[in-house]
Amino acid sequence: MTVSTKIAAGLFGKRVDAFTDRNFKYLLIAPAIFILLLIGIFPLINLVVASFQDITILGEDKSFQGLLNYKRLFSDARMWESLLHTVLFMAVALPIELLLGTVMALLLLEKMWGRQIFIALLIIPTVIAPIVAGATWRLMFDNRFGPINQVLGWFKGEPVNIVWIVNSSYVWAAILATEVWQWTPFMFLILLAGFSNVDRTQVEAAQIDGASNLRIFFKIVIPAIRPVLAIALLIRALDLFRLFDIVWALTRGGPGTMTETISTFTYVKGFEQFDTSYTSAVAIVVVVLLSIAVIFALRRVEIAR
Amino acid sequence: MARLRITGLYKSYDSVQAVRGVDLDIPEGEFAVLVGPSGCGKSTMLRTIAGLEEPDAGTIEIDGEIVNDLPPRSRDVAMVFQNYALYPYMKVFDNIAFGLRARKFPAGEIKERVLAAAATLNISGLLDRLPRQLSGGERQRVAIGRAIVRDARLFLFDEPLSNLDAQLREEMRLEIKELHQRLGKTMIYVTHDQIEARTLADRVVLLNNGRIEQEGAPLDLFERPVNRFVAGFLGSPSMNFIPARLVAADESLAVTFEDGTALAVPAAAYERLAGRSGHDVIFGVRTEHISRARDGDTREGLAPLSATIDVVQPTGSRTYVTFRLSGTPVMAELRAHDVEHPGQRIELDVDMNRAILIDPETDLVL
Repeated sequence: MTVSTKIAAGLFGKRVDAFTDRNFKYLLIAPAIFILLLIGIFPLINLVVASFQDITILGEDKSFQGLLNYKRLFSDARMWESLLHTVLFMAVALPIELLLGTVMALLLLEKMWGRQIFIALLIIPTVIAPIVAGATWRLMFDNRFGPINQVLGWFKGEPVNIVWIVNSSYVWAAILATEVWQWTPFMFLILLAGFSNVDRTQVEAAQIDGASNLRIFFKIVIPAIRPVLAIALLIRALDLFRLFDIVWALTRGGPGTMTETISTFTYVKGFEQFDTSYTSAVAIVVVVLLSIAVIFALRRVEIAR
Repeated sequence: MARLRITGLYKSYDSVQAVRGVDLDIPEGEFAVLVGPSGCGKSTMLRTIAGLEEPDAGTIEIDGEIVNDLPPRSRDVAMVFQNYALYPYMKVFDNIAFGLRARKFPAGEIKERVLAAAATLNISGLLDRLPRQLSGGERQRVAIGRAIVRDARLFLFDEPLSNLDAQLREEMRLEIKELHQRLGKTMIYVTHDQIEARTLADRVVLLNNGRIEQEGAPLDLFERPVNRFVAGFLGSPSMNFIPARLVAADESLAVTFEDGTALAVPAAAYERLAGRSGHDVIFGVRTEHISRARDGDTREGLAPLSATIDVVQPTGSRTYVTFRLSGTPVMAELRAHDVEHPGQRIELDVDMNRAILIDPETDLVL
């Protein structure tokens, strides 16, 4: 009798057959799975249920309303615009962070004096809480007291008075600057780790083989760090999709709804207007879209093989 | 095809002096082996020749052209690395073709050359595999294929066999030697294995502490070492070294040990060594130059010696025995049945013509 059979026999009396013995492992992890499901799935189910009701700050009605919220959602231009803002912003910010992060990582790859200090200083932005970063940059962009207008003024030779977070031509640039400032170091750090793990002799072999630096970078280095790169991009893409704090601190989605992201939109609907059921429906749609995107992305980069 | 000339080469890392003044001239088509213990600077030299390291001082010339300032890609050398350094995400074909593609060869010629190189190395069936699907020996062949496909003027090998098992190592050693004979290229080969060095080399360059101790044909170094390091490094098992004193007695010399044992120095060496009489020396003799005394063996220069055997190690064809001479353990290589058991007292002959004497102060062979 194996150990597991003995324990099983103790639990269930003497009649322990081969089936129980073979499946004893599932019995052992069952409680943990149950708790995880309870924690993980219950809120989701609750969300789905709520999305089919019509709970608001005023209404007491908890009856099922069918697809009411979903119908409303599909014709809600503001919601789709906020989703579009989010995706477009991601499409611009992610390549910029990747490019800057790569350049920084390559620059700091060589051993040099003060390298450790530089790296430590460079990753400070990522350590700061995003809401604090947003508040800091709000001060930086302030049209009267902010250093940015002041510095621009030195170059222009006359006082500059750009109202960064109100003027529709500049507001996205302000958000982008803050986002890139805060999260490029994250990309830099991961890429630096990736680059330093590339087998040195492969690069040397390629040099002797006569390959140019560009060829070595794209044919040897990039394939070697591909998994790291994919994970960094995925994490940053998901973070960008959830973009909230910086926008909230800088503009609260304004002017009007111009810089609203799907996260700020959901927050406004759920916690300022307490349109609970509608917010639930929005959340469900976002979760579904995001899941499809992530599964597609994982397949594409072959991480989850 | 190329002649390699190195003059006054120095290279240090941080506080470690890896190469300390090396001059080397390797003629076209020669197979030179840089050999020495770990940290003797042999790999650093190879990397400097390849252009992967910049020398602190000295010049490196290939075919009369100083290449110090040329990057590795412009030196037209090929190198095989100890860990093979295959590109893991490329198939074997692309690994071998990489250098040709980088040098913009036409596709047709690339294919032709890769197939030819693969055929030479018996890896034609592996071209569609990835490096991780290959065994150690196969990877080694691919690494060599990558080197020979470009037809570079100088081939560099950095301990290419050290990751292989003993049998495969012997096989590949033979193949590398054949490759050299067929291609006739100048090859520089780094190893810490003195058997590889002796079997492969036209010229052995023995390095220690960043300097050349001695260079020359393998047998030259083996038979006529210039100092104690060379004598001790080459040969397996290593040469025996026993402290002794050179004593003169009416027109002849003898090596005498502390316990009173004396071995007569052959008459031929008398004049060369006479001036040293009365001085301390270190007596060096290889294991194979001590044999069991046989009646009727009247070769010149044999010195008799009685010994009580401590350890017997039979290998089949030969038997290694250890005994003490004046307190120092000495190993001798005898015929298979010369000794039966430890504790046995036997008569030995020491071939004094092949033994060497070393000045204990300078470590130079007298």
